[in-house]
Amino acid sequence: MFADLGSTVRESLVVVSIAGAAGLFVNGFLNPNGISIIAEREYEVLVPCPEPGGVVTPISAAESLAGSEPVFWMDARSAEDFVRWHHQQAANVNYDYLDPTPDEIIDALARRIARSKAQRVHVYGDGDDPDTGEQLAREISGKGIRKVFFVKGGARTLKDQMEKNR
Amino acid sequence: MSRLVQWPGHTWLALPIRLYMGGIFVYASWHKILYPGLFALDVATYDLLPLVLVNLVAIILPYVELIAGMILIVGFRTRTGAALIIAMLLLFTVALVIALARGLDMSCGCFASQTMEEDPITWMTAVRDVIWILLTFYVLIFDRHGIGIDRVLEPRA
Repeated sequence: MFADLGSTVRESLVVVSIAGAAGLFVNGFLNPNGISIIAEREYEVLVPCPEPGGVVTPISAAESLAGSEPVFWMDARSAEDFVRWHHQQAANVNYDYLDPTPDEIIDALARRIARSKAQRVHVYGDGDDPDTGEQLAREISGKGIRKVFFVKGGARTLKDQMEKNR
Repeated sequence: MSRLVQWPGHTWLALPIRLYMGGIFVYASWHKILYPGLFALDVATYDLLPLVLVNLVAIILPYVELIAGMILIVGFRTRTGAALIIAMLLLFTVALVIALARGLDMSCGCFASQTMEEDPITWMTAVRDVIWILLTFYVLIFDRHGIGIDRVLEPRA
């Protein structure tokens, strides 16, 4: 069945050689979109690697403020936005789409949550699509913190609701 | 086994497979030949080759696809074309499985360069490649006197 394997391999090598010569010639002299034979710099390849996102539950701003269980609040927005307005009990952990939150920060947060005796973690962000609050909530939930909720609509909705409740 | 290989019906069964697989490879090569830069980006995205080889592979591989596909279509040195296509499909499948195992969300880069949403890699892509490998193996093993130039050039008994 494979008696002529040797000749098939030889012919394959000939074909690859011809293809190589044709490819280099056309790329070098005929193709206006030709490229250099050796890349001069790294390709900017952006492949989203899957982060271990956990399960989070969306809640409305009204629900987030209504419960009786002690809550640990987290603000996923930038430090500037946090200074402008924040929930008075919130801790600021800026969610960055490119850099996952370092494990040390998550560990420190987990200790703070444990010390606070909070039963739930409520996260709010910019309320955009995607919402930084939801992303941060998934990230910390994926690291093992339980009962994590994110506020739908983010800081704006939460602020409006708090003013309404006054 | 040898009677199975000698069965004359293989020629007719293999013909549509040859045209199908040859057509796929000629089609797959076209966009890559026209836009080697986009294909090089696809090759780099798999993150399997050193940078020094990425462009070289992106320049040469589409021509191997083109010639191997044409060989299958016209039936000249058919078994060589089939062997090359099997070798390429094996390489593609290994690269694909590694990318899937790494959990990369990326475009296949199999045909015209498409976005991840249009042509994402999935396990079904790997299954499709395995089916294509099996079909081409059929041509390699059983298409002994294929319809095409090989038959014209064959010495008559």
